[in-house]
Amino acid sequence: MTRWLLGRTVQAGGTFLVAVVLMFFVMRLSPGDPLAEVAGERQISAAEYQHLQERFGLSEPVGAQFRSFVAGVARGDLGMSIQFAPSSVTSLIAARLPATLLLGGTVLFINFTVGIVLGVWQAVHRGHALDRWLSFLTLAAYALPSFWLGLVLAWLFGIHWDLLPTGRMTSPALMADTAWGTRVLDIARHLILPAATLSIVTIAATIRYQRTAMIEALSQDYVRVAAAKGLSRRQVVWRHAWRNALFPVLTLFGLWLPLFVTGSVFVEDVFAWPGLGSLTAHAITGRDYPLIMGTAILVSASVVFGTWLSDVVHMILDPRLRHT
Amino acid sequence: MFQPRMLAAVVLGLGAACATERPADTSVIIPVGGLGSSPVPTLYQNRLANFLQADLMFLRLADLPASLETVGDDGTPRLAASWERRDPVTLVFHLDPRAQWHDGTPVTARDVVFAFDRARDPNLTPELAPLLSTMTDIVAEDEATVVVRFDRPYAEQFYNATFHVQPLPAHLLEHLHPDSVATSDFLQAPVGNGPYRWGEFVAGQHLVLEANPSFYLGAPEVDRVMFLRGGDYDARLNLLLSGEANTLRNVSIQDVERIEADPGLRVLTTESYTVAYLLFNQFDPHDLERPHPILSDVRVRQALIHALDRKTMLEAVFGASASVPPGPVSRLHWIRDTTDSGAPYDPGRARELLRQAGWTFSDDGWIRNGEPLALTLNYPVSSRPRSHFAQLIQEQWRQIGVRLELNGMDGPTWSQRRRARDFDLDFSSAGMDPSPAGIQQSWSCAGIGGSNVAHYCNPLVDSLLAAATFAAGETRPQWQAVLEMIERDAPAAFIYSPPTIFGVHRRFGNVEFPPYSYWSAIWRWTVTDSR
Repeated sequence: MTRWLLGRTVQAGGTFLVAVVLMFFVMRLSPGDPLAEVAGERQISAAEYQHLQERFGLSEPVGAQFRSFVAGVARGDLGMSIQFAPSSVTSLIAARLPATLLLGGTVLFINFTVGIVLGVWQAVHRGHALDRWLSFLTLAAYALPSFWLGLVLAWLFGIHWDLLPTGRMTSPALMADTAWGTRVLDIARHLILPAATLSIVTIAATIRYQRTAMIEALSQDYVRVAAAKGLSRRQVVWRHAWRNALFPVLTLFGLWLPLFVTGSVFVEDVFAWPGLGSLTAHAITGRDYPLIMGTAILVSASVVFGTWLSDVVHMILDPRLRHT
Repeated sequence: MFQPRMLAAVVLGLGAACATERPADTSVIIPVGGLGSSPVPTLYQNRLANFLQADLMFLRLADLPASLETVGDDGTPRLAASWERRDPVTLVFHLDPRAQWHDGTPVTARDVVFAFDRARDPNLTPELAPLLSTMTDIVAEDEATVVVRFDRPYAEQFYNATFHVQPLPAHLLEHLHPDSVATSDFLQAPVGNGPYRWGEFVAGQHLVLEANPSFYLGAPEVDRVMFLRGGDYDARLNLLLSGEANTLRNVSIQDVERIEADPGLRVLTTESYTVAYLLFNQFDPHDLERPHPILSDVRVRQALIHALDRKTMLEAVFGASASVPPGPVSRLHWIRDTTDSGAPYDPGRARELLRQAGWTFSDDGWIRNGEPLALTLNYPVSSRPRSHFAQLIQEQWRQIGVRLELNGMDGPTWSQRRRARDFDLDFSSAGMDPSPAGIQQSWSCAGIGGSNVAHYCNPLVDSLLAAATFAAGETRPQWQAVLEMIERDAPAAFIYSPPTIFGVHRRFGNVEFPPYSYWSAIWRWTVTDSR
């Protein structure tokens, strides 16, 4: 087990490094001027353009830029953003991370509570009219583009019915000395629409995975034995069948963990949610190399960690894997 | 267990609580696409957001006059209470004794000289130094008097001495190495002298400016200005429509009706200094040493311009509020000739010019030496107006037999190909200063390597430009000569000068958006209604 864990961890670390190095060179070799946004806003002279190139280290050869990047990472310095200069990449990511963790955490929580409960319910009531309706509705929601759904919800709840804020994480009217209770309530209100949008379009997968796994588990002999022993239906479903139907969902959790860290580009943009998703998107569309690399490190780390965690949890929970 | 009823109750409760909330009544909340990250004079890095936000904190010696003319010595007093001309090359400014920095220190002539010294250093501010190259000397004659000397007499001396540079607090900055100001603590909380002072800044999220109650020209009624980075355009519009923001710049013409339908909002439109144009590459993009096989011929370029019905296109994209620019300047520039909007739409003349250039019309369109008249247009898809115009231009040229392939691309790729001169036609847009002297950057030989990406160079235009820029007295005829010469050369088709449309809450009165700095007049806004 320890040897397996060590090997899996080394493999994950290698994957992470390869991903980051690849990202560095692919971004630099792909077309696009990182100074486009700066140079494009007003007329610019040749001297000014050169000054900007030198300021952001863009006049150096790619190899020298890579060496500077590696040296910076070793010092914990990811450099200065081009779009948000003179802000550092680290400070930008640190400022955006809480919003992303909050939104991603909420969506994951909803997915893996409501999604699991509904998936189990559907499996237990397989063929029931409500099961068919839920399958239809969740698949329809899965097919919706998140930005479209976000715009519709923002218009309905924010503008037409005037019930919820349409954007950002806090009300602009909130002052620095606002009581924390009011602040928490304000954040919760702002969270509803983006979290609902993301949950609606992603929960279908959890429900489907859980339903399928549960149907298979319910047909197993040990479940029939448990029922024959006279255990209550609740005990049979949750204690015996569900525990064995959890593995596919755990895999899904590992794959979705990056969402927790990276956020969602479209939903963050539609709701002006100040998270990492929209920051990453703007970094890529603006070719802000230092910021792209900062977020790439975070994304790669979360993807690699998510799959690593999924494997490790499987290994711990499934005795068959431990003994092979 | 999951309790749907409980969740519904929470959602509705939070929603109901929110329904009663509105921003503070005397705040102006502005959702923006980009925030300025260094809104301090001499540290702008060419970003428009930095300019616009700095103008609320840092005053100029004088603002432009109401006529927006940049010639002569007319201006609106700001840090300078008055000024006089000592001789044709010397201006003397007398600072307003009431002017103070936000830390209470009086604004002195030393602050003015300090800022100009920074701005004239090409290593520190390569964008400003060329604009101030005619200044030979800026000295503090005493605490409240600044003397500016020029190397020659010309009509825009006053404009150059007042528009480009805002004084900086020398008492806080002069002990720093000039290079380190950009990374100093000053940037974390800049100290200005204007109607608003620094409140709070979170990079990439928001900037809050608080009213300066002791502002010597009158305390602002709007006590807080908040710039929010507001996601994409739809998210920013939603913030305005839902009442969470109070004003929005660059409203799309398609959304004007929605805003006007809201009884709490109104729409205001102002002309802009932006000019969008189709740039003709006169060099072969595959071999930049050689002339372009089609576009190096001025008759072809003129024909393509005559084949464009710019007024009809403008109405289709912007409604009635946009204007066809009279050359490489906006109709807002004082040198405009309101009776002339460039070459007229004349497809017959276009065909005639093509024939004169050796092209013959066939079933496959125009042909010369077996080659068709086929071109490619590069444009950034992020610009909705340009994307729309590109399709209209393709259709209009198709009607006279010219083939145009549209090549929409993302902003950085478009910009890279533009700078590499890798295009036949490039759909560009330039935000200009109020002075027509900005023409030099894109349309003179000296601008090559900078904004003049097509390497358009006509020494005659250069000499006319120099004559117009450095003439004393009435310079309008000289500028008209420049525009006429550029029109004759046809280095580009000047397509539109877009209006800037604002949505703004009705509770604000005395609202104006000066086209050279949209937010700079907020301190004069009144709050007429608490809701």
